[in-house]
Amino acid sequence: MARFQAQTNAVIEEELADLRGRLGLRANQRADLLREIASLASWVVRQAEAGRRIEARRGRDVEALRNPTLDRLRERRNAGVVGRIALSDSEVERLAAVLDRGFSPTPALRKALSRLAATKRKPPKLRWRDGAA
Amino acid sequence: MPVRVVPLTRHHRPLLKGFQNQHASLVEYLQRYALRHAEKDLLARTFLAIDRTEGGERIAGYFTLATASVERRSVSAIEALDRLPQFPIPAVLLARLAVDDRAKGQGLFLFEEALGLTIELARTGPVALRLFVTDAIDGAAVRFYERFGLVRLADGYPCRMVLDLKPLAGG
Repeated sequence: MARFQAQTNAVIEEELADLRGRLGLRANQRADLLREIASLASWVVRQAEAGRRIEARRGRDVEALRNPTLDRLRERRNAGVVGRIALSDSEVERLAAVLDRGFSPTPALRKALSRLAATKRKPPKLRWRDGAA
Repeated sequence: MPVRVVPLTRHHRPLLKGFQNQHASLVEYLQRYALRHAEKDLLARTFLAIDRTEGGERIAGYFTLATASVERRSVSAIEALDRLPQFPIPAVLLARLAVDDRAKGQGLFLFEEALGLTIELARTGPVALRLFVTDAIDGAAVRFYERFGLVRLADGYPCRMVLDLKPLAGG
């Protein structure tokens, strides 16, 4: 673990030094470098939290920013309580098939509907695995 | 004593931290956002399955419902569009459904409650609803919803699934 961490730290240091040079900062401007990085990262995270996808564009050339952490943030937002559900073309095709079908409820749905229609519906009695009765 | 299903209010706040589920996002939603969405932002309403045990009351599970509109992402021509109702399509979104990992076996009951509330709203509510939509979090959730006739619209996860309410709402 320590070796892995040492290697990781070395890689990060190298990347930071590279970034520092490209941003035109001197070796003693570490705080400025971190401030710049924090500012950029904060903007990126804010976009992902808003459910937005980040893309670099030049003419027809488009490159999307891909990162598992950002994907999780975006999914958390998109899978949350949303007012608008935007469907892709393939999802629209599948939806059309769903709405085209005649009514043929599955056995489980039929049972659920009949239970819901019952005047006295029985809630389940639970047994907790940690011993609470 | 059997579980009872009630809307989440601030009085349930002390019970929230005891809820356990393998998916951290489902626990986080209940503990951090559900009450705010229900009482402050009015974005969604969460219903709790509360069980009374010897140690007191516990949250055995919950589900969250919100309204949604289903729209198209692109404007390209699709043949199937002729057969679809006009976009946007009004829907109820089952935004969350989770049971405490220590008290499984009530997911069916919770789902029926959510579906029952939705059908009631579609039948007698002041607005029209055509779809019941949910986002299944994993393969087990997809299989669970498929048993009730929900159809997946995508292949990845979370997986969007829909049920046509028209035949259920008496349309």
